[in-house]
Amino acid sequence: MNIIFIAINLAFALIIAPLIDGFERKIRARLQNRQGPSILQTWWDLIKLFKRPTIEPQDSIKSLYKLAPYITFTSVLTAYLIIPTLLPASTNFIGDLILVVYLLGLATLSFVIGAFSSGNAYAQIGSNRDVSLFMSEELLLAFIIGTIAVIGKSLSFDQLFPLPFRISSLLALLLLFLVIYVASTRLPFDIAEAEPEIIEGPLIEYSGKHLGLLKYFVFLKRLLLYSLILDFIIPIQNPIRLTCYLIGIIILSIVYSTFEAYYGRFRIDQAIRILKRASIVALIVWMIAVVGW
Amino acid sequence: MEAQILLLPIGILIIAALIGLSKAKVVLKIVNMLSAVSSGVIIYDGVLGLKTTIELKYNLFNSSSFFASLDYLVFRVDALSAFFLLILGILSLCASVYGIKYMERYFEREDMRVYTFNYPLFILTMYLVVICWNLLWFIIFWELMTLFSQFLVAFEQRKEKAVKAAFKYFCMTKAGAEFIVLALILIILKATNFNANYSEIANVLPAYLSVHSATLYTLTFALLIGLGVKAAMVPLHSWLPDAHPEAPSNVSALLSGIMIKLPIYMMFRFFLGFFPLKPEIGIVIAIFGILTLFFSMMYALLQKDSKRLLAFSSIDNIGYILLPMGAGIYFLANGSQLFGGIALAAALFHTMNHAFFKGLLFLTAGSVMYETGTRDLNYLGSLAKKMPLTAFTALIGSLAIAGIPPLNGFVSKWMIYISTLTSPATSLFGIIAIFISAVTLGTFVKYFTAIFTKPPVKEINAKEVPLLMSVSQLLLALLCIVFGIYPFLPLKMISQALGSIGVQIHLDSLVVYPSLVVPKTGNYSPIIIFAFLLVSTLIVLLLIPSRGEVVPTWKTGRSEDLNMSMPADAYYRDFREVFREVYTVGDASKRFVQKIAEIGGMFGIKFEVLSYDLNSMLSIAMVLIVILVAVLGGVEL
Repeated sequence: MNIIFIAINLAFALIIAPLIDGFERKIRARLQNRQGPSILQTWWDLIKLFKRPTIEPQDSIKSLYKLAPYITFTSVLTAYLIIPTLLPASTNFIGDLILVVYLLGLATLSFVIGAFSSGNAYAQIGSNRDVSLFMSEELLLAFIIGTIAVIGKSLSFDQLFPLPFRISSLLALLLLFLVIYVASTRLPFDIAEAEPEIIEGPLIEYSGKHLGLLKYFVFLKRLLLYSLILDFIIPIQNPIRLTCYLIGIIILSIVYSTFEAYYGRFRIDQAIRILKRASIVALIVWMIAVVGW
Repeated sequence: MEAQILLLPIGILIIAALIGLSKAKVVLKIVNMLSAVSSGVIIYDGVLGLKTTIELKYNLFNSSSFFASLDYLVFRVDALSAFFLLILGILSLCASVYGIKYMERYFEREDMRVYTFNYPLFILTMYLVVICWNLLWFIIFWELMTLFSQFLVAFEQRKEKAVKAAFKYFCMTKAGAEFIVLALILIILKATNFNANYSEIANVLPAYLSVHSATLYTLTFALLIGLGVKAAMVPLHSWLPDAHPEAPSNVSALLSGIMIKLPIYMMFRFFLGFFPLKPEIGIVIAIFGILTLFFSMMYALLQKDSKRLLAFSSIDNIGYILLPMGAGIYFLANGSQLFGGIALAAALFHTMNHAFFKGLLFLTAGSVMYETGTRDLNYLGSLAKKMPLTAFTALIGSLAIAGIPPLNGFVSKWMIYISTLTSPATSLFGIIAIFISAVTLGTFVKYFTAIFTKPPVKEINAKEVPLLMSVSQLLLALLCIVFGIYPFLPLKMISQALGSIGVQIHLDSLVVYPSLVVPKTGNYSPIIIFAFLLVSTLIVLLLIPSRGEVVPTWKTGRSEDLNMSMPADAYYRDFREVFREVYTVGDASKRFVQKIAEIGGMFGIKFEVLSYDLNSMLSIAMVLIVILVAVLGGVEL
């Protein structure tokens, strides 16, 4: 039964993740008084990329360069075994919150190793920024995990979904909302992949199927993080969970894409400084949680 | 008769050291091979020790004074010793096999006898420290271990840096050892009535110390400093980043992999076996662990010397061992058996993991030195094309040390987080450990990419290292993978090891095949994660195969090279800028310690002037002895 649930969840994620991006593109276009492409456009883009051949740069470390997009893609896919999306599968024997965080770490790691192996200087600069951002992101995330673990007295999802309603859990979820925004490589924070400045950084040499996989990875990661925050809020055994979940996804993408439409890009040091300040706030939230509020 | 096998490595290693006195070229091979053989026997001893306790007893003297404790030389291998014997055996096997080829590079430059004589003795003393069952003999072997390892650090005698580093190492660890000696004298004089046998002490001491709490805190203080210096606990770590890089790489692997774990072994013996469990002691150890892992990893991020980076990361991992050990003592003292057991198991597991991946990483750094002759991360680059096997093993080591699933580093880190995060008292420790784990990932992305993938400053001539060197690396890499995917085997050994010092960890409730489950707290199934990663990657590779033509790397449209590459110095500059307070604090404390050292030196000179003539020397010595006696007696207050 569980395995079927997981398979359905995986299939849902694989199909829906690009659609959500298409939806967000539509919203951004409307906010900027444009017509915008159809919601399916992201899917068409991906299919087109998957049909194209790939290239290998001369100076690259071939094996790492070629394998990296696949590992990046599957590591985020693995996280879907643990976090329920459409159906509330009780899969707590596979992993917990820590594992999800580290699987996303594996994704980032293989992403940057692939970029470093391309032998392109711009990719190096970009991946460097990516890791810098990842490290500061993780400081904030560590505080959030600590807060959640103190509130729920557990790291296992069957205990944490949903979080008990307390001031600290509300604040922790707000901070999680911020981390997810940063982690999903959106506009003020997509410093590593800045197009006008370092020509998409880590993605610079990737083309065709590889590029398609990496883009697909970003969409899947966004949906995964949406599901994570929604699972913390929505009661898991509720009959209307499914409706709540779908509405939640739509609300989150509207909110996030609105932010994205109105912001310019940060400099890397500004972004790290913001995350550091947020971590201090998170420290206070952690204290509130320890006190028991 | 089975117990006699404990003597076999001693015999082989002494013979190896004696052969090592000769200057002939073939000696190097013989010594390394004999060391490898004895390592094999050490592994066998370890396996045997896990099954049953082995004991050997020799009556050496018949005195009846204070030295009565030295009368019997007792070797005994219980499960805890056996666990450390296994680590020692596996690591020294790899290091010795590696050394056969690696050390040849030093033939023209150095006197090889420094290596061939000291190397087997270094392994021997480590072996003796683990198997001896008597506190006085322990301190003798301990000091010998420092002595021989110090010669190995100063192997390249013409390099001033190496000699200086060895001297610093010797002075600091020797001073630390004095604290241990004081603690041992206190134990033997006051508590155990001239008995230094571990079993006796374990019987008598806990009861004695729970009454005399002042003695307990004095002993804890002395042992934390004494063992902490050797384990390179921040703020007593400053010898390690100088000493470990200077030794030949296979010796560095042993120094980082197992030697700095022996203080951990003794801490397990003392704090868990001999002392009553007190929550405050646990918290103090955990705080030292946090300081250690935080500052050392933030500094590791700055390094541009490959082996110095690894040395800093070794200190960091000592932090990752001290933290769960302290937390475990805290939990056990507070009656939380489950979390206490998991935390202590995490400490032992991380000890083993760190030995494997840090040994592996030091060997890869050695291979790179062997081919290119440099440790400068700014200069190196793009070696993955020329040394694919070394690059692959270095990648595995880097992934394991960054705690990436499904490798072994993740399992121990996961156990640390699970045990610490949920309790309010230790939650902050776990949070900092998670953050530092991300910084570790950054550091090792730097280590790996700077050596193996970034375009080099100029073309480097290198080829893959000889088979004998890559075999050791491959073996360690394999262990990192296997113990990551199948952690149940090491966990079984660990539960035995903890059982032998009286900590019961209920493995049955922890291992619910195929998962590790901590009831209501966390769960992780390495097998499923690994299988899914593997299978899904293969499926995606089949569905979306990547085949493509080779085109020139994009150079902004120009035909000549961009001549643009990022040196290792430039990595994560923005991150370091924003977090510069950490470095300000670190540098300030460094200056503070230097000031103290200067003041100490001044007092030393004063003392020398004062004690110039015999009379005043005697009187000063008298005063010092009185102070010492007062200190020793005063703890009974």
